[in-house]
Amino acid sequence: MPGYVRQKLSLDFAEVTKYLTRRIREYIEESGKDGGIMGLSGGIDSSVTAILLSKATKNFHILLMPSSSTTKKDMEDTMKIIQIINAEDKYTLINIDNITEEFSNDVKTTDKVIIGNIKARIRMILLYAFAQKMNYLVVGTGDKSEIMLGYFTKYGDGGVDILPIGDLYKTQVRMLGNYLGVPEDIVNKPPSPALWEGQTAEGEIGLDYETIDSILYLRFEEMREIEEIEEMTKTDATKIQKIIKMVKTSQHKRLPPEIFRLSGRAINSDWRYPRQWG
Amino acid sequence: MGLKIELAQIRPKLGDVKLNLEKHLEIIKSSTADCVIFPELSLTGYILRDLVYEVYKESEKAIERLLEENRCIIVGLVKETRPGILRNATAIIINHKVDYVYKFYLPTYGLFEERRYFQAGDPKKDLKIFEYRGIKFGVVICEDAWHYEPIQALTLMGADAIFIPSASPMRRLSAKLWIEDSWEALLKAHSLINGIWTAFVNNVGSQEEEFFWGGSMIVSPSGEIVTRAKLFEEDSIITEINLDEVRKNRFFSSFREHNRDFYDILRNL
Repeated sequence: MPGYVRQKLSLDFAEVTKYLTRRIREYIEESGKDGGIMGLSGGIDSSVTAILLSKATKNFHILLMPSSSTTKKDMEDTMKIIQIINAEDKYTLINIDNITEEFSNDVKTTDKVIIGNIKARIRMILLYAFAQKMNYLVVGTGDKSEIMLGYFTKYGDGGVDILPIGDLYKTQVRMLGNYLGVPEDIVNKPPSPALWEGQTAEGEIGLDYETIDSILYLRFEEMREIEEIEEMTKTDATKIQKIIKMVKTSQHKRLPPEIFRLSGRAINSDWRYPRQWG
Repeated sequence: MGLKIELAQIRPKLGDVKLNLEKHLEIIKSSTADCVIFPELSLTGYILRDLVYEVYKESEKAIERLLEENRCIIVGLVKETRPGILRNATAIIINHKVDYVYKFYLPTYGLFEERRYFQAGDPKKDLKIFEYRGIKFGVVICEDAWHYEPIQALTLMGADAIFIPSASPMRRLSAKLWIEDSWEALLKAHSLINGIWTAFVNNVGSQEEEFFWGGSMIVSPSGEIVTRAKLFEEDSIITEINLDEVRKNRFFSSFREHNRDFYDILRNL
């Protein structure tokens, strides 16, 4: 990561922590819910989100939803986080292999990507069922890098009520993790959705997150030209183009479904109200 | 002797200037008209949102290619008028030379958010009269036809025809479109009051959640709709406009009675 970008992405993480926990607390209050629930995978994003959530409210619950593609190391790491946030009596463990198998059999597929997305959506269903039972909100764990790249499952890990770290790049989430005392091996672990064995984000995308974040920041926040980004990040133009293309082609995942206009006031188009309406 | 104008009611692909330029060239090359008029933001598409920052340069560059064509061409683009200032613009290309007009009234209500991106044109600098094959005309963009002044000013400055590139989205779908009725009424009023030809050229088809209804039309100085393009589909219509129809209106109307005192009152309101 170019020093210039690192400096731009470095924040006062004590302030960031204060701010984000306050926002989580206020959102829960304003939505009339009693608390928040989230899935913990043992990765950096959910570890950081879990700590923020535990700081925001005592009323939280953690779901651990491993499958056959969850590594032993990830399971151990989830338990480390559970200890850090004193959640020994605030978590539920559900293995999703049986449900996944039933879905996959019904769809008659062995495709690892389709099955991977089924897993992400099963987790969403479980989170919402628990949330409804407890009158909690579903707290998402996606970060800005993943959301921009569209590197998430629509209505899977994308199906949540709030995204507290959704405006922090992966690199910044790591910095925040360090500040919050997330164990170093969790911070430095290669990010993975673990939807199938051996899957890593950086392997799939073909670039490390420090470079990805530099490209995202320079292109979409500073609106720099590709040649300039090539020079600054010492990255091939074709790889930069690939990242930009991922952002562009995944826009539908970040927006609500398109509603075809018929009336004089169509929802989202010219009928726009805040979430806090009534 | 008149001026043959073609209203090219196209469906631009949002943000794809290259493809849109090809479509423009195809229509221009096969047209038998003197002047080909495209809709508002025809080179870029209308519902651009933040894509505006990515397409303005390319749309300005497309004008260079269109300058090679030997014809009168009117196209919509995003123009950077000084660094960092963008305007909703229409290029008027005549005999390999280009001039621009800018939208004065930027709709920012309902589904429209033009003031988020564009600066409005300045009437003191940007009201322009063009002449081609003996017909003097002015160009105003869409929302400008929902006010009296832009078209009135151009007419008093000498225009006998007003071309109105537009991006009018369909609202309230029913057997007879409310928005179509409204445009008919507006065009007829402008034509009758000013003794001018009005030509409305609309976009057609979907862009994001919106749908442009097409229905481009030409209204004579007598207030008659003389030609009309299809609703909801790409279409092209050619009509010859002439000065005789303008005379017919103005011989027998009070257009010549322009009382400036009203403007003194309006200015001070």
